Amino acid sequence: MALSCLTRALRSLTLSQPALLSSQTPVVQLKLGTLVPSTVSQCRGFLTTASLKHNRAYLKQLDKYTIRPIGIKKSGGRDHTGKIRTRGIGGGHKQKHRWVDFQRLRYEPNKEGQPFEEKVVEVRYDPCRSADIALLAGGNRKRWIVATEKMQAGDIIKTSGVIGRMAVSANEGDAYPLGALPVGTLVNNLEIQPGRGSKYIRAAGTSGVLLRKVNGTAIVQLPSKQQVQVLETCIVTVGRVSNIDHNKRIIGKAGRNRWLGIRPSSGLWKRKGGWAGRKIKPLPPMKNYVNLPSISAN
Amino acid sequence: MLPEATRYLKATVSLFSPNVFLNASKLSAHGAPSSLQTRRNLRVSHCFAARVPPQKKPREKVEIPGLEMVTYGDRMHYVPGLAKPVYPPWEMSFKDPRYYRSPPAQEMALYKDKPCYVFNQRTSILEGVRQAAWLTKTHVRPGLLPHLVSLAAKPENQLPDQDERVQNAIKHSRFWDTTEPRPRKEKYSNTLLLNLLHLCATLQPTHPAVGRRILAENYSLAATWKRGEDLFQIRGRNGLLHCSMDPLPRICGEQEVLETSDQVLESFYPVSPTIDLQQVSEGEYPYPHAHTLYFLETSDPNCQLRPEQFRAKMIMFTFGNALARAHKLYGPQSLLERPITVQAVGTNGRIFQFLVFQLNTTDLSGDDGIKNQAWLDEDVELYDFAKVRPFIKRKEVPAGLAGYKPETFSKFLALYLHGAA
Repeated sequence: MALSCLTRALRSLTLSQPALLSSQTPVVQLKLGTLVPSTVSQCRGFLTTASLKHNRAYLKQLDKYTIRPIGIKKSGGRDHTGKIRTRGIGGGHKQKHRWVDFQRLRYEPNKEGQPFEEKVVEVRYDPCRSADIALLAGGNRKRWIVATEKMQAGDIIKTSGVIGRMAVSANEGDAYPLGALPVGTLVNNLEIQPGRGSKYIRAAGTSGVLLRKVNGTAIVQLPSKQQVQVLETCIVTVGRVSNIDHNKRIIGKAGRNRWLGIRPSSGLWKRKGGWAGRKIKPLPPMKNYVNLPSISAN
Repeated sequence: MLPEATRYLKATVSLFSPNVFLNASKLSAHGAPSSLQTRRNLRVSHCFAARVPPQKKPREKVEIPGLEMVTYGDRMHYVPGLAKPVYPPWEMSFKDPRYYRSPPAQEMALYKDKPCYVFNQRTSILEGVRQAAWLTKTHVRPGLLPHLVSLAAKPENQLPDQDERVQNAIKHSRFWDTTEPRPRKEKYSNTLLLNLLHLCATLQPTHPAVGRRILAENYSLAATWKRGEDLFQIRGRNGLLHCSMDPLPRICGEQEVLETSDQVLESFYPVSPTIDLQQVSEGEYPYPHAHTLYFLETSDPNCQLRPEQFRAKMIMFTFGNALARAHKLYGPQSLLERPITVQAVGTNGRIFQFLVFQLNTTDLSGDDGIKNQAWLDEDVELYDFAKVRPFIKRKEVPAGLAGYKPETFSKFLALYLHGAA
């Protein structure tokens, strides 16, 4: 009986607008662009409530900040087509992502504009990066940040957005705008544009040097000796990033690399080309992120 | 039934369309748009089906106030180049409870702009006992008062064969209560507490006031108070509540109560005292007096409380009970003529925390003035080891109960008999 109903329905196939299945589900939008009525191979579209695509981007969809570690799915170097795009990635220990707040000068909802202090609750290992992370608690909220070298549980850390006339003698771990720091301080977690969050100098043991301050901008030397000119209102943290002996560690065995998620490279001998070997070349020119009309020539 | 079935099938069938990209990307179980679903082309093999590039975000529509959009709404069909008409959302003309959507929080009748900080039984506050003391305006003293402890030292307040019976109770909860090799922690801590309570209750023939009490499980508590400018609330279902018909006598004399106004509450700058509290925007029982609260450690993996946080939770809930009682007895006035005393015992099966809380005032808005008092006895062990197996990794460890401390049970008994003896 049900089968005869089904066949009768199939026979009376029309190209009318789709009706609502029930009054609660919203209307399905069908693209009726290319319609080839064929009775033999009909592809029935169907709706499911479960995710049709393997949703790997759960991390990118969260909007509320949380300090709870979030599970991540390993990509294995594969992209959305399923083919390997980056070789040498796969396997390794499971990791949970702790959402680090890279915008250090983030005010609480009602307390804009004033410098604030926070207390370091704990400093711990983070599997997702080479540096250690620290849990800061201040006011009503807790957040993770990249820890600096001598940060310990119980320290009080200051964050300020104010540039005074005199340079501040900053303690390690505090965050100030570049314009407020004395020339020659070691800095890390550098922002390129003010308010965008720090993108540079975040790896273990790295530090940049504030070279000079030029009318409204500051020039910082990155760990690769490249020099960068940014606005002086960009916030940086003072000191070196934690875990300074990270580059001195010895992997020791192939298995430890596999635990880190690094797959072996192909063992095929290939002749090295022009990219190999030591290169001695002058430093690239200073990168300017300030968008000022250049007064000097060129 | 048949015409309905055909109508239903016709509705499903009209979704049939060959060679159509079903753009199901806007649907989810609740009818809300979600980007979890994606486009599927089901007529090709899986390898080619996955080759669609990720969907681009649609262009952002810019609203220019004052500019009238020319739409194709009047023409009743799509015209390329004209804007899509935007109609007001359709509302049903009558009220149907099946399709009622509640208004957003801002328009609800009881909404208040000020946030209310809620403490529930799974809250784990950062600073532990110090934060709980600030929130409840309490001065916490270590150790129990000596006159309480001496209650249990009197011979008429002791059980016959007290030590042996307590040790039997421990052995029952730790070894004998299960068919598996060892009972789990939540099970043995619960059994131990009930056994100890039963032992204390056997003193009823000599102390008739014990009979005017009752145990309540899974009670819900709700109490509100104002501290500074913020509202605080305790809500929750807790462990065991031991209620009695008569209130507990006051622990501390008047003089000492007045002295507390000289003591300063500890502060923990820069952490605000409201950290870790949940922010929310805004019945006659014959045994009305809360006597003792019993706390067990929960097995919920989401809220593992460290000992400091466990003690903080004990303080907060004891305070909540005392405050609820005070509001009921004395109404909104601030200084209580007779302070309200509530006790609490927390355990994890081996280590006990004893707390006696005296509520002196409900005026909690300022930091000065008379404070409440609490006496906290931390980390009192009942026994050292209760091992099931005699050998652990070749080291000989005595099986069975070891290191029993009788003083702990006498404190337990003292708290139980307080008010009855």
